Amino acid sequence: MTTLPKRIIKETERLVSDPVPGISAEPHEDNLRYFDVSIEGPQQSAYENGVFRLELFLPDEYPMEPPKVRFLTKIYHPNIDRLGRICLDVLKTNWSPALQIRTVLLSIQALLATPNPNDPLANDVAEDWIADEDAAIAKAKHWTALYACRPPPPSPTGPSETNN
Amino acid sequence: MTRNIYMDDNDVYEFQAEDDDGDDDDDDDEFSIEFYNHKDNDSVIFQNDIFCEDELDQQVPLRHKGIMSKIVDCKYKEYGDEDKGILEDDLPIIEYSCLTAGNIYSLMLNRASKLQPVFNIPISDVIVLLQKYNWCEERMLEAYTDDAKAVLDSAGILIGENSELFSRLKTRDGFVCPICCESSETMKTFSLECGHEYCLTCYQHYISDKLNVGNIIKCMNCELALKNDDIDIIMGEGSSTKLMLSSIKGFIQKHSQYYKWCPFTDCKYVIHVKNTMSLTQLNRKYLSPYVICDNKHQFCFNCSLEVHAPCDCIVASFWVRKAQEESENLNWMLQNTKECPKCNVNIEKNGGCNHMTCRSCSYEFCWLCEGDWSTHKGSYYQCILYDEKKQNKKGDDEKKIKLHKYSYYYKLFNVHESSAQLDMKLGLTVEQKVKSLQDNLGISWIEGQFIPEAIEKIVNGRTVLKWSFAVAYYSDHSHNMYKILEQNQMELSKAVEELSELLEIKDPKQIMDRKLDFYNMSDYVEKRSNALVECGRELLIKGICIPRDS
Repeated sequence: MTTLPKRIIKETERLVSDPVPGISAEPHEDNLRYFDVSIEGPQQSAYENGVFRLELFLPDEYPMEPPKVRFLTKIYHPNIDRLGRICLDVLKTNWSPALQIRTVLLSIQALLATPNPNDPLANDVAEDWIADEDAAIAKAKHWTALYACRPPPPSPTGPSETNN
Repeated sequence: MTRNIYMDDNDVYEFQAEDDDGDDDDDDDEFSIEFYNHKDNDSVIFQNDIFCEDELDQQVPLRHKGIMSKIVDCKYKEYGDEDKGILEDDLPIIEYSCLTAGNIYSLMLNRASKLQPVFNIPISDVIVLLQKYNWCEERMLEAYTDDAKAVLDSAGILIGENSELFSRLKTRDGFVCPICCESSETMKTFSLECGHEYCLTCYQHYISDKLNVGNIIKCMNCELALKNDDIDIIMGEGSSTKLMLSSIKGFIQKHSQYYKWCPFTDCKYVIHVKNTMSLTQLNRKYLSPYVICDNKHQFCFNCSLEVHAPCDCIVASFWVRKAQEESENLNWMLQNTKECPKCNVNIEKNGGCNHMTCRSCSYEFCWLCEGDWSTHKGSYYQCILYDEKKQNKKGDDEKKIKLHKYSYYYKLFNVHESSAQLDMKLGLTVEQKVKSLQDNLGISWIEGQFIPEAIEKIVNGRTVLKWSFAVAYYSDHSHNMYKILEQNQMELSKAVEELSELLEIKDPKQIMDRKLDFYNMSDYVEKRSNALVECGRELLIKGICIPRDS
């Protein structure tokens, strides 16, 4: 593997020394571009009290290309699909090299606080959301309790661990 | 005034290169920018036009170098002088010009300099604005008069008194680039007026991919736009042109009603039709707007297919679609299978003798004559009944006939297509043929031109013939006009084959001896082509040829 760019080293150091409240991101030992991320559901949102696990990968072109982020925990959200893919402008067209891992994760946390059913990724969820918001929020809360509030699973690390 | 006539195309069009001085009537055309009434300026720009060099590649005839906004009028000549009664005198004229993306950009630049006093901002800012509004100045002006500040803000243009004095490029010691986190003693950095400063290497990485997209490139940390000068500072002289051309390409794609890329492989020309009214008028008369780019590629502006007369675009598209759907299966089936004479199942013979037993109906027949095997006892392979059998088959079910009918026309279409391709290949070697005439017999170049002319006629003739089979396929075969079409097809194919024979002659002396034949035959092929085109068109006009999916 080529040496890790300074930028990634610095960002990783800062994520550890000065973590963002409610968010943790740790690189894998065998691949320093792959991060295990967990984000706490924002307060007063349908995802409150949930802890959502994500994976984050920095492609070779990072920071010219955005990081690739995906939810691993099941979540009921109009902008996140069944595979955990996220529809977020800063991960796509509005990415700028001046953004960082921490800003991206903060944006994702903000997305949890403000779902946007008018620009959906998961169409079925968005339809439910528009048709009956209260019911949708109740369902999101239910899913949070069901999937995001369990004690940590027996294998504490990400899925790539199981491959080895 | 007719300045040059395209020698290669004299059977269908006559081209006029003429000055078009102020009669632009595209004010109603919201996308089109008036290129044409600033002739003098255009030419000047074009001469200094560094980025057009690669666009105007080697194949472009000399006469076009330096003449950019040439207006080419295309007028339909009546097909054949023998008036058949359905010819209109006032056929619409398609006015078009052949440009490259570089040409269009130069014209846009020219417009930008005209607009600059209106906005009272630097010309580089006007270009950014134009880019933002996809080079549509009407929309841009409208938005600007509505809310100038919002327009400028959204495009990332800063109106500052000292912006020109701002030093963008610096060499800094001890600066840590926030993007790559690197630092060195002589780090070159770049920043816009916003002060977001990053190292030059990062900026280069950032920009390089975006040059192909064509959108406005912004500061990495805010909405401020990089102007062409900035891009050239960072990426090197001329880089902004790449961005501009990408942006122009987007413009062309968006306005495909007025602009079409030449569909031929690797051709860089764009045809711009100003008056799209004439297109609909032509359509109504079952004619198609054929245009020619400066590489002499001729195509239909409507559907971007090759010249498909006598078909109109609808028949042509039906035919092409059908060919795509069916041709592969059909080709294979035609080559490898025969239908069981009794149950019409397609049978592939993959070995063994000619005594076939149909697996689906157990009918025993002869592979050669498709006749009953029982009649072959004792006299194998003497299939004298062949012709009669074929005649008898005509009463079969409709589906099969349809497929047969289609495959019949499709085969003819293909034959002429491949022949035309061969003729075109022959055309490539024709220079040598002419040269050998020059060398061996001392014939002047101009005198030898009858050969390339003949090739062109034959290729055109084959194209007409080819597409006439599409018309034939969709026509009502019981109609009298169809018989006339068939007659015309026969005449043309005879003529084409005769001319083709002439072109096979290799001996230079013999070629010169038969020069008159060449002339006569070429002329005849042209006349026959025109007659067939007109005949096909009549079938369309009279509703005898109606394309439909089956």
